[in-house]
Amino acid sequence: MAKRRQITRREFVKAAGLGVVAAGVAPTIFIPRQARGASKELKILVWSHFVPRFDKEWYDGFAKKWGEANGVAVTVDHINLAEIPSRTAAEVAAGQGHDLIEWIQPTSQFEPSVLNMADVVQEAEKRFGKQHPLCRRTSYNPNTNYFYSFCPGWTIDPGCYRKSLWEKAGKGDGPVVWEDLIAYGGKIKKEQGIQLGIGLSQELDSNMAARALLWSYDTSIQDENENVVLNNPKTVEATAYMARLFKESMVPEVFAWTAVSNNQALIAGRASYILNSISAYRSAQKEVPEIAKDIYFTPALKGPRGTGFHSEHVIYGYIIPKYSKNVDSSKKFLLHLVENYDQAMYASELYNSPAFFDAPIPSGNRGYTAVKGAKKLRDLHNAWFSSDPFALPGEDKGKLAVLKDAEKWSTNIGYPGPANPAEGEVFATFVLPNMMANAARGMAPQTAVEQAELLTKTIFAKWRQKGLVGGKT
Amino acid sequence: MTSPSNPTPLANADRGGILDREGALAKLLIAPAVFYIAAMIGAPFVLALLYSLSDATTGDPGLRLIGFQNFRAALADPVFRLALRNTFVFTLLSQTIVIVLSRVLANALLKPFRGKWLVRFLIMLPWTAPISLGTIGWLWMFDSIFSPADWVLRYLGLLGTASSLFGGQTNMYWLGIPGLAISSVILVNVWRILPLATVIQLAGLSSIPKDLIEAAEVDGASPWRRTLMITIPLTLPIVSIAFLFGVVFTFTDLVVVYVLTRGGPVHTTQVLSSWTFFKGIEGGDLAQGAAISLFMFPVLAVVAIFILRMARRTEVV
Repeated sequence: MAKRRQITRREFVKAAGLGVVAAGVAPTIFIPRQARGASKELKILVWSHFVPRFDKEWYDGFAKKWGEANGVAVTVDHINLAEIPSRTAAEVAAGQGHDLIEWIQPTSQFEPSVLNMADVVQEAEKRFGKQHPLCRRTSYNPNTNYFYSFCPGWTIDPGCYRKSLWEKAGKGDGPVVWEDLIAYGGKIKKEQGIQLGIGLSQELDSNMAARALLWSYDTSIQDENENVVLNNPKTVEATAYMARLFKESMVPEVFAWTAVSNNQALIAGRASYILNSISAYRSAQKEVPEIAKDIYFTPALKGPRGTGFHSEHVIYGYIIPKYSKNVDSSKKFLLHLVENYDQAMYASELYNSPAFFDAPIPSGNRGYTAVKGAKKLRDLHNAWFSSDPFALPGEDKGKLAVLKDAEKWSTNIGYPGPANPAEGEVFATFVLPNMMANAARGMAPQTAVEQAELLTKTIFAKWRQKGLVGGKT
Repeated sequence: MTSPSNPTPLANADRGGILDREGALAKLLIAPAVFYIAAMIGAPFVLALLYSLSDATTGDPGLRLIGFQNFRAALADPVFRLALRNTFVFTLLSQTIVIVLSRVLANALLKPFRGKWLVRFLIMLPWTAPISLGTIGWLWMFDSIFSPADWVLRYLGLLGTASSLFGGQTNMYWLGIPGLAISSVILVNVWRILPLATVIQLAGLSSIPKDLIEAAEVDGASPWRRTLMITIPLTLPIVSIAFLFGVVFTFTDLVVVYVLTRGGPVHTTQVLSSWTFFKGIEGGDLAQGAAISLFMFPVLAVVAIFILRMARRTEVV
């Protein structure tokens, strides 16, 4: 019988060592050969859009097609919106990564590490007309005269209400002023058992709702010169209102509100009114058409003195980190994106609105039924919101018409000032939703505002020291 | 017989190559582990120290040293103080519960019964599942609208009517009411650590010499006395290891709080690791985030020393 050959320790260590070295070296031998195929490249990092067909059926193919036409190897990576801040921070710290990174909230804190986009904005305005002011205020730092990002579009944040419930309560056209949410929303909760859904939690939508309320009550975190003005009688009035609203019209689910709660509550038939983009309605159209048909929209609700503002729901901001070696390609792609924003609006099922309303509609087959007489994005916007191309059979096609002039009642985080890094940190650490929630849970509104002011002033002072925020107090 | 062209191992040893020198080979083999620890733990730790003394932000990670400003700012921040307290409370409470439950489970698993393998498998499941996936499962369990736990309570008549034990509302709102949210976070931490603690306790109980227990039984010691005088003292070192491991895992955990509550409602479930993330990464203040995270270090260092000492004592046992 043949004796089995023994493996000596020496042989084992040699073989294992060679294996490890081979595994480490192999990728460096093979991968660069593949990469050398394209002369230029462009790596884009974008969020996974709330409307899945936007990525799959449009954006990815659109970017690749542009790359092919311009001799650029384009890679598009999608990540969850919650991962964008940490991923960007990691890439900036490492000094390598994507050439273009798309954020859906202001990115002012990255100003020292990103390129000035002034030339892109200038060129875009030359070709496509004026950029919407709310887009400019969320991409430009007036203190340093620096465009830290380029904003090609944004998303409307209307009120969505269940018409049948509000009709029974005697307000079929939905709420008009914030007080209606207590008067009629409270009545719906008592008589029909359906609550309102406005988040008072540590997340995105609650942050925007709190800001909308403050602005509609003629108050804000900062003034136009970036001085903190939070602690004033109007903020106390707004905070006291939120405490009443919670008591009369809502249930404790709002303290655990998440980014998907709007969709869940609406689809489950457990919300008479929510503050959200039309994505919740679009989801309902696909999952529960009978509820979708009952969903109608309102513009910004008005406060006690007639002011009404909502926050943009999403603001698209592309940054080019300073480490990027493909700056020209990145800028060209952004201009191409603006040029084709009609397709972005359509592919997102009207979730995306343009930053350049006067941009002309390119000729040829655009992937949607041509709108007669439409020459600019403004014409398309008006036509589609007047007659929703995505309405279900038998559904009222004109229910989005109230959103046609949304840019008049929509504004930016940081309003009436710019979206500076201090506003960003106040947003990220949930100061405002917690101020509202504290009052809703029984704290005196004045105390809740004072606590929020303390946190806010500390944050502003810190960023002011870095020269990125203006103002004095 | 060995041919001259095929030298024996002894001949190789005589040549004194590195592969045949025990000390050198040991160093060579341990080198990757040392390098890994230095690169993955040592370097980030030094970086965190430097960041905490600087004014670095996510957008400007350059190091300009500003002394202890970030530590002073953290201590002055009421949210940080709440997060610090929560971190201790959540850790100690959950690990105390874990030790009690794991002892009960380990005792049960020592006994022979039908389907024991299945029970062991089920107990180990939470440990094998990724923590983020498991916590997302719990998120649904605690959902404000679709919670299965609420459905069961409603079905049993304990929720949803005016006379119900838990009130007339349709849901418990587990993550919307501070007390329930805190309990939920602790419960998920218990669920997560329990399998490891059970296995460790099981190993400890199995190692107790049977003759000691039998001798105590012959001497007429009651089950309680046997537990207090034999089982607990003999398993104390290994139970301590289970406890300390649990402390490390829970004290540093971000996932459970981040997925379940994001620190809410109103920061009532905020812990040091989640506040580090919100302040340092989402808020952009990298330096402040680093300073907050370093407050965990003294506790973890002490725990690590205890674990090593306990491990040595366990070896003696």
